[in-house]
Amino acid sequence: MLLFSENGTAQEKDTLKIPQRYGLRLGIDAHRLTKSLYNDNYKGLELVGDYRITKKFYAAGELGNEEKTTADDNLNYTTKGSYFKVGFDYNAYENWLDMENMIFIGMRAGIGSFNHKLNSFTIYQPGNYYGINTNTSGQEFNGLSASWLEVVSGLKAEVLNNLYVGFSLRLNYLMSNNEPEGFANLYIPGFNKTYENSKFGASFNYSISYFIPFYKSKENSKTPKPKN
Amino acid sequence: MKQLSLLLVLSIFFSSCEKDDICDANTPTTPKVVIEFYDVANPTTLKNVTSLGIIAPGFTNGFEFTATSKIKVPLKTFEDTSILHFIQNGSMDPTSDDNLDEITFNYSRKTVFVSRACGFKTLFTLNTTNPITVTPDSNNWIQSVIVSQPNIENEDETHIKIYF
Repeated sequence: MLLFSENGTAQEKDTLKIPQRYGLRLGIDAHRLTKSLYNDNYKGLELVGDYRITKKFYAAGELGNEEKTTADDNLNYTTKGSYFKVGFDYNAYENWLDMENMIFIGMRAGIGSFNHKLNSFTIYQPGNYYGINTNTSGQEFNGLSASWLEVVSGLKAEVLNNLYVGFSLRLNYLMSNNEPEGFANLYIPGFNKTYENSKFGASFNYSISYFIPFYKSKENSKTPKPKN
Repeated sequence: MKQLSLLLVLSIFFSSCEKDDICDANTPTTPKVVIEFYDVANPTTLKNVTSLGIIAPGFTNGFEFTATSKIKVPLKTFEDTSILHFIQNGSMDPTSDDNLDEITFNYSRKTVFVSRACGFKTLFTLNTTNPITVTPDSNNWIQSVIVSQPNIENEDETHIKIYF
């Protein structure tokens, strides 16, 4: 009699579970794409993807390429490079029925390979008694690399059947940074802007992605058994 | 929904902060040359200039120093030579007692990266031969010049000693 009632509560829980779809979601970062269109000093593309492993966990990654010209007060330089990030997302959102939205936190390990071209620079001389000394350079700093960790938070919402939009915020921490002789990695593709005397950085993306379902979970799709 | 609005606010915050880089005045950038004045009759004793005007030839504005034995002046970052006129009694009227001595600084330059905000700086190394020359005239007030530190990389040490 005791055993029987335990079974009954377990089954009641199961009846709330909906068959879960598992598969691959592939997409693109809309922010980098649109910025490339309206900003002459930026060209970038980021492909995003995740693969559902368990009900809550997704293997996730990004692959990108950026070319950014930065015009600071005393510097003008172009950074070009590629990056790859891999990690996971954990969906903290309890979906209703068969909805498949995500409010997630996750982590990534990122690596980037890049170079800088110093277009022009100003010699900083307090007072500028002799005038401002700006030089065109063209000097290149090649073969640079960096690696970092990201703590990711964001959301994804299914707006059309299998089509998702989402955004994510990333707090980045530099693990390694191969700095050039005579210059610095002021911008790292994928990591975003670096800060002086700090290993932290931040970045974000807006993703538009398409879900390709592979299979549905069987174990969670128990139909309610009629109670005896 | 709370999480969503927080993310939205944060994303606006991150996308809007771009221009935040102003070169801090405390950051060591291109150094000035640090000059100390000594008494020619007593070469270990510092001697104040009472009224010194310094100006580059052809310039209308210069630097004025009164009652000090230590001064700093800028060098050209785009040429290996800087000429400055050191005018005794030059920072005040009358101009009739002005005594102009022309000093030429000869050096090599090195361009060094400082930071995103400050860009680059120039470091100077005074030449081993003829680092400083005082153009002889009929009435030089500067008696001799000695280089005590040929590497002008900061303003913490004295680079040149002038005896008068």
